[in-house]
Amino acid sequence: MDGLVDSLMEELNCQVAFTIPIFGGIDVLESVAVTWIIMGIMMVATLILVHGLKVRKIGTKQAVLESGFTFIWNFFEELLGKEGTDYIPYLITVVLYIGIANMIGLLGFKSPTKDLNVTISLAVMSIILVEVAGIRKKGVKGWIKSFAEPIPIIAPINVLELFIRPLSLCMRLFGNVLGAVVVMALIKYLVPLVAPLPFSFYFDIFDGVIQAYVFVFLTSLYIKEAIE
Amino acid sequence: MTGLIAIGAAVAVITGIGAGLGIGMATSKAVDAIARQPEADGKITKALLLGCALAEATAIYGFVIGLLIILFLK
Repeated sequence: MDGLVDSLMEELNCQVAFTIPIFGGIDVLESVAVTWIIMGIMMVATLILVHGLKVRKIGTKQAVLESGFTFIWNFFEELLGKEGTDYIPYLITVVLYIGIANMIGLLGFKSPTKDLNVTISLAVMSIILVEVAGIRKKGVKGWIKSFAEPIPIIAPINVLELFIRPLSLCMRLFGNVLGAVVVMALIKYLVPLVAPLPFSFYFDIFDGVIQAYVFVFLTSLYIKEAIE
Repeated sequence: MTGLIAIGAAVAVITGIGAGLGIGMATSKAVDAIARQPEADGKITKALLLGCALAEATAIYGFVIGLLIILFLK
């Protein structure tokens, strides 16, 4: 029983991976280190995929890349409308990052979204983007007036929603990843042989991709609502 | 004190009932809609997945609160 509690506590806490020896030692947590690894993977994949693009007589790799990109672009353009296409690169980057971050448990790393700091920063970035989109479209006065729509009585609720939305975004992502980690730790403690495999498929792959999709879908809904 | 902590955590997780009922009802309506018009099942599935993920969120909030109660109250 104590072994179970110990393994749970070890999974929940974030450990310091290494210490940068300048300015009196900056602690680098393992979520930051794994984020750097994800950035490296995405950058290397990007450089490999866009190497040698041609205008005519394109190869198979470029055809697959173009069809995938067009599919995702049309999907987001349907959500955001014609004027929201400025924000699509950010949304695609976030969905790729959260998807890879949730699935990196399969490679043996600790997932960075298990740390509350990472999910809070993602949610804050998204909300700042939504408000900036509203200000760019309507100007500062129009944005302040839009708090009073459709009826001026619900203006306090609109202001409150400004804080509730990032909170719900971050807690949804964090809670799902934390639940997955706790259940996987319990299963690995009780039945370490074969049972973790199908559960790991469900939690890491299916749940991780769906949570990334929901995060980005909600952010794009908020952007659409702020732009129109 | 540990008894009260345990009862508090148990009450926090009761929010799971709401998620189970909501997602069950949503899935039943989605299955009805697909049976009524099978060509639209792509859009129906997309809407169903989104609705389920959003409804799950309230149960997850209860779980996180239960976990915080267990870990941070002495």
